[in-house]
Amino acid sequence: MQFLYSGLTGGSIYALVALGYNIIYNTTGLINFAQGEFVMLGGMLIYTLFAVFGMPFIIAFPLAVVTALIVGLLFERVFINLVRVKSDINLITVTIAASILLRDFAMHIWGRDTVTVGEFMPVKSIELPGGVISNQSIMVIAVGACIAFILHLFLKRSKYGRAMRACFDDMTAAGICGINAVMVRVMSFGVAAAVGAAAGVLISPITFVTYDDGLMIGLKGFAAAILGGLGSFWGAVAGGILLGLLESFAATIMPSGYKDAIAFVVILLILFVKPAGLFGKRMAKRV
Amino acid sequence: MLKIKSLCVSYGAVEALANVSVHVSEGEFVSLIGSNGAGKTTLLNSIMGIVPSAQGEAIFMDKSISSMKIHQAAAKGIALVPEGRRVFSNMTVLENVLMGGFSKSSKENSEKLEEIYSMFPVLKERKNQLAGMLSGGEQQMLAIGRALMCRPRLLLMDEPSMGLAPLVIKDVYEKLAALSKTGLTILLVEQNAAMALKYADRGYVLENGRIVLQGSAKELLGDNEVKRAYLGKEYKEKWER
Ligand SMILES: Nc1ncnc2c1ncn2[C@@H]1O[C@H](COP(=O)(O)OP(=O)(O)O)[C@@H](O)[C@H]1O
Ligand SMILES: [Mg+2]
Repeated sequence: MQFLYSGLTGGSIYALVALGYNIIYNTTGLINFAQGEFVMLGGMLIYTLFAVFGMPFIIAFPLAVVTALIVGLLFERVFINLVRVKSDINLITVTIAASILLRDFAMHIWGRDTVTVGEFMPVKSIELPGGVISNQSIMVIAVGACIAFILHLFLKRSKYGRAMRACFDDMTAAGICGINAVMVRVMSFGVAAAVGAAAGVLISPITFVTYDDGLMIGLKGFAAAILGGLGSFWGAVAGGILLGLLESFAATIMPSGYKDAIAFVVILLILFVKPAGLFGKRMAKRV
Repeated sequence: MLKIKSLCVSYGAVEALANVSVHVSEGEFVSLIGSNGAGKTTLLNSIMGIVPSAQGEAIFMDKSISSMKIHQAAAKGIALVPEGRRVFSNMTVLENVLMGGFSKSSKENSEKLEEIYSMFPVLKERKNQLAGMLSGGEQQMLAIGRALMCRPRLLLMDEPSMGLAPLVIKDVYEKLAALSKTGLTILLVEQNAAMALKYADRGYVLENGRIVLQGSAKELLGDNEVKRAYLGKEYKEKWER
């Protein structure tokens, strides 16, 4: 049972990262390989605001997320917008290049060493049937679920969220409705960055933060998105949680050094066996 | 209201429109007929800013719209019901209609929505269904409803009859005629010349990217060349003789 509790914690984070991939994929058809860097950025920002500046968490958290959102908007304006020939392959290569740049920037700002964010609240362990769970983990799961739910409402209910879904269905028809496709693209990068950074904030007291964290968490989130079916909202949530559970279950039967390999085994298996993912409705067709 | 002057559009080496000039006056219902590949969709897409023009000018309400992006043309009051309807198939009927009013306030939209529901009751009945589940005719009504949400001054219709049963086609055209009566300006392109000309005031014939004929809808319906090429009357008449 213990693996269930730790799996849910990691899984919530993977789910948020996977949602970030989906937001951009669903509006532009792109895989933003810099998605993981925003998780790192979230961790680093909360370190600066909460641990260094000593801001109350309740202020530092939204501030970190908003800062990351702005970086996400700038990221689109600089890296995506300026690419002259916007073919998928060009843009995806640019996101990889941009992720390396972001990592280097982070290294210069925050250094090579792992930074410790500290606890957002006094840590307590809670006895549950078959194991213990810390209140930290509960916060990760609960806030993660809240963010997913808010995102769901945004996409379903708000005008801009609907516009993002419309662009996914038919970019031209969305333009005919008066929707500025570029505006939607910029917005999707901002929202994805914010969601990624929120994940980074949540996990930072548990895993600490290093400038190169983005690579691994980004690839794991990508594995979760593929597992759930790229582009599917609830698929990302399920894929993230499933990956988290698989990892922590594997840790109980295998040496823990293999834990990181699980995500890649998952990517390979899905691509070999069920390319549309477990919950994917259809394959991509976007330009 | 709309003036297209010597418009040329090419896709790479393929010249799709050559020196096309078309005008539509306020309140008119104009049909442009042409066979498959004549360049009808290209013309409407070029007006809407979906494909760029190489030469020529498009003027709408005395302003050039030649270099506008799609959403800017929409903001100017031009609405397109595209070929194949292109409804948002993963969104509900209501969401589709509301999307059409993206740039309008929610108050304006709720007023307009009632109007559209009363014109197309089927959209109200099906408002919570996914648009992809509707029949072709219902999707056409939805696409028109969506286009009307942005309160257009000019409605561009691309082959509304495509893939629909004759009775449904008639239904669609009756709605268009009713809209035209309310003062809406319509430019429609069609292969189905009989229907398009029956409801229109004026018409053009497009062949291989060139306007070859124009006149009142009555004249065109009576024109021997139009009869032979677009109304399929030739053989019947010979046989009757
Ligand atoms: N995206 C495109 N790329 C290249 N050629 C195209 C494209 N769209 C249309 N064409 C060509 O342009 C011509 C006009 O097409 P179109 O405007 O779709 O005609 P219509 O709507 O009258 O059937 C055709 O010869 C067609 O093959
Ligand atoms: Mg066409």
